[in-house]
Amino acid sequence: MKPSRRTGRIAAAPILFGALGIVLLLVAWQWGSTRVTSEGALPAIPIVAQALGGLFAEGAFWTDVLLTLGIALLGWAIAAVVGVALGVLVGTSDIVFSATRVVLEFLRPIPAIVILPLAMLVLGPTGEMGVFLVVFGVMLPIAAQTAAGVESIDPVMRNTARSFGMKSGEILWRVILPGASPFIGTAMRVAAPVTLIMAVVAGMLGGAPGIGSALTVAQSSGRSDLIFAYVVVLGVLGLLVQAAAGRTERRLLHWHSSYRKGN
Amino acid sequence: MSTAPVTSTTVIRTAAKAKRARSRRPMLLALEIGVPVLLLLAWWFGSLNSTDPFFPPLRDIVAEFQRLWLFDKFASDVLPSIGNFVLAYLIACAIGISLGILLGLSKPLFWILDPIVQFVRSIPAVALLPIFIATMGFGNEVRVFAIALASIFPVLISTIDGVRAAEPLLLETARVYRLTRWERLRDIYIPAASPQIFAGALVSLQVAFIVMITSEMMGAARGIGALTLLAQGSFDVKGMWAGIVLLGILGYLANLVFTLVRRRALAWYLGAQKAASAD
Repeated sequence: MKPSRRTGRIAAAPILFGALGIVLLLVAWQWGSTRVTSEGALPAIPIVAQALGGLFAEGAFWTDVLLTLGIALLGWAIAAVVGVALGVLVGTSDIVFSATRVVLEFLRPIPAIVILPLAMLVLGPTGEMGVFLVVFGVMLPIAAQTAAGVESIDPVMRNTARSFGMKSGEILWRVILPGASPFIGTAMRVAAPVTLIMAVVAGMLGGAPGIGSALTVAQSSGRSDLIFAYVVVLGVLGLLVQAAAGRTERRLLHWHSSYRKGN
Repeated sequence: MSTAPVTSTTVIRTAAKAKRARSRRPMLLALEIGVPVLLLLAWWFGSLNSTDPFFPPLRDIVAEFQRLWLFDKFASDVLPSIGNFVLAYLIACAIGISLGILLGLSKPLFWILDPIVQFVRSIPAVALLPIFIATMGFGNEVRVFAIALASIFPVLISTIDGVRAAEPLLLETARVYRLTRWERLRDIYIPAASPQIFAGALVSLQVAFIVMITSEMMGAARGIGALTLLAQGSFDVKGMWAGIVLLGILGYLANLVFTLVRRRALAWYLGAQKAASAD
């Protein structure tokens, strides 16, 4: 009986402390807002809560949320297809590997936001521009991880498949892709928050539809209560996207040995 | 018994790799150097007579690059951007690592701050910028502050994880040898966490770069990002391309410097890893 009560107490402590931390932060925020209220820059909590409630009642807000998520998700899917295909090519053929190595090594560390002015110029303030930026932002890391995953596959497995008379398409489908899937899964999960960032940036700076452009509108009209409300919404969206990506990864890859041990 | 198949697999693998590498190395090396050169040449000559308003000749872009950045606007726009970026990044690393060690060692403190850290870090970093601008205006200090705050989180979180994952056996040994608190921190916690700290610091570097550019694009008068977006807004396509090229090169260089520092600082760890994978 005693050990279980002890573990129960240990599990409760982090939650209590965490709640304490949040309360402290909210108190500090409220106190700060009363101090600088003359400028109206830091809105008090009730005002932000009111703005948040106002947003929830608006249809346009939910359209914005769906648009932002849609841009992020569509870009993510396109980047996954193209990135995995590229990664498999690079990982299986040393000719492609050598031919693309220098170019990819140079392009990979460059943040996608660099290309934003060009995307704005060519595509204009549209959803396509957002999707393009998202794809540009996460495709190469996914491709690089996929290539690493393909290279990590034991050649004996590939040779075995070949000696069983599998065609190269079948080897790709049944040996290479499953073997590289933990790498692909990790890359996709890591890419998830980045897709959200790019979708928001495309809206903030490039005017692509969604929360990003709503945030810019709120900023230019000086509605700091709306700015805070949108940022809170984005935080929640970020948490949801991360949680969904992590869950999906575990769901889809539970069969792989690297996911089975322990948890 | 159970190690036999693994060994033979490794032998086959390395033998096959060595054979492949020997026979085709010259051709692959030629490809590695040739393809980028060919691509650049194709861009240069393919765009030579380009009248497409969005894709001017590479020659003009290079000329504009030279005119703008070497060294007309170098001191007035490039240096402040780089300065902000480096300063904010170093601040973020210093605070992130020290706070991370503190939170990694003290459980109650970690419990108090963990939910807040988790929430703030899941806000897309650039979305914090409007808050800073609304509450503090748009001075240069605010920009440094915003870059630093946004890029603290990756390094902070990985430092916490690294410190908490320190080998228990090492800690017990340290207790047996009666190392002081400071010695334990210096000789056990920090080395044990350093690979993770560097992994987080790399993500922080990229976040800092993105926020630096974004903060300039959101209405600053000076800086590379501001000039690039200004050029785009006034349909000065060559100027925009010159800005894009410069930002690309800077992003690449930042990464390169980081990789060199990491290789230096983690030489012991990378060496051990290589030795482990060679077995």
